Amino acid sequence: MWRARIQQCLLDPLPNGLPPGWRMLLDGLGYTLVISVLAVALGVVLGTVLAVLRMSRRGWLRWPARLYADLIRGTPVLVQLFIVNFIVFASVQADKWLVATIAFGLNSAAYVSEIVRAGIQSVNPGQMDAARSLGMPGALAMREIILPQAFRNILPALGNEFVVLLKETSVVGFIGGMDLMRMGDIIRSMTYEAYVPLLSVAAIYLVLTLGLSALLQRLEGRLGWGRER
Amino acid sequence: MSLALHASVPAGPGPMVKIVDLHVKFGRHEVLKGIHLEVAPREVLSIVGPSGSGKSTLLHCVNRLQTAHRGHIWIEGVDILAPGVDVNRLRRKVGMVFQHFNLFENKTVLDNVILAPVKLGLLPRAAAVARGLDLLRQLGLAAKAQAWPHNLSGGQKQRVAIARALAMDPDLMLFDEPTSALDPEMVKDVLDAMKDLARGGMTMMVVTHEMGFAREVSNRMVFLDEGLIVEDAPPEWFFNRPQNPRTKAFLEKIL
Repeated sequence: MWRARIQQCLLDPLPNGLPPGWRMLLDGLGYTLVISVLAVALGVVLGTVLAVLRMSRRGWLRWPARLYADLIRGTPVLVQLFIVNFIVFASVQADKWLVATIAFGLNSAAYVSEIVRAGIQSVNPGQMDAARSLGMPGALAMREIILPQAFRNILPALGNEFVVLLKETSVVGFIGGMDLMRMGDIIRSMTYEAYVPLLSVAAIYLVLTLGLSALLQRLEGRLGWGRER
Repeated sequence: MSLALHASVPAGPGPMVKIVDLHVKFGRHEVLKGIHLEVAPREVLSIVGPSGSGKSTLLHCVNRLQTAHRGHIWIEGVDILAPGVDVNRLRRKVGMVFQHFNLFENKTVLDNVILAPVKLGLLPRAAAVARGLDLLRQLGLAAKAQAWPHNLSGGQKQRVAIARALAMDPDLMLFDEPTSALDPEMVKDVLDAMKDLARGGMTMMVVTHEMGFAREVSNRMVFLDEGLIVEDAPPEWFFNRPQNPRTKAFLEKIL
């Protein structure tokens, strides 16, 4: 009986001229990965800028960054996704994966800015003193000394952010994005069969997140200059 | 701005550092209460005093890592507290060695030494590497050029820090308790490096608890107590005939 269900859901071509389920899930997985990777990249870049702004001595640089983080963290990501899709991109024709990437990138930036801020604060202030004592401008010291050390310290937290984001992108079906979750749901509706597609989707997410955690642990050990304390 | 002015300009050597009525407050607590001090070119000045007396604060004002509340500091004739002064330009000529070394943890020893000269465009990379290796060799660290700071002993770290400061070709060197964080057997290497520097004619301001070093190497000593300089004398006078009762009390405690 299970063999027949798997055959129907994953291996045979689906009704309405759709390809077999495994093909659909693979396509969906591709979208999920593209959206997650690009969004986290956008999040790290924007989040770092926000973090540096939030630590500025100038109030007019500090408060917009702070307001942004508060707004994003205080509203559901699904609402933000809808706002980006139906308001920001209302009159612009854009692929759903791009809309989703931007929405999740903007969302992630707020959380990453908190992480980066904590990372910058974790770097010994003596490092900045030494850089400044050599006549290095603050931005140069930040780029060469402070941020590389901050990123090493926050690598686990950033990896965790990626894992969270990977799972959160499962809502892009709401705006018509064809990600892993959405594909599983299409298979479910085509076959009237819930177990195989949904458990397959869950298993794929699980493999991704666990694999990612293992990868990050290896990467962490690779950065040789790290303090041993 | 003429920070490049050297002590040997025809107008006659002015002081390397001139400090007038320097005040620093931390909140409502006044740490420096009106410091007056001149340091001549090639002079080695030791600054001693009980902890909390403001020694480190004074030193940090000289390269503006600490903001002064009131007063004036001239370095090679330039008023460094004046508005609009290019503080990064000033700092290029004022090297600093810290109590806790503060080596850049994400850079190798050699990269620590050449980073600022290269990134600030003062030397082409190849020239900076050659000079960096030369400095490391002089300080007995030639074998450590490619090592990471966390693999060095404290004494080695501090000598790298000295090399890093010297790579900027400074006119003045500030030492903030350079041996206080070292194991006793490491102290000598660092002090020897500083002696070499002093013999080479470097102008130095040294906050220290090493009375032996102060006596042997410095030309002049000041005793700081509660934010004021209360004794200012050559070492032999300072140790043998201190004038101020607080200096006497301090010396009795530590010698």
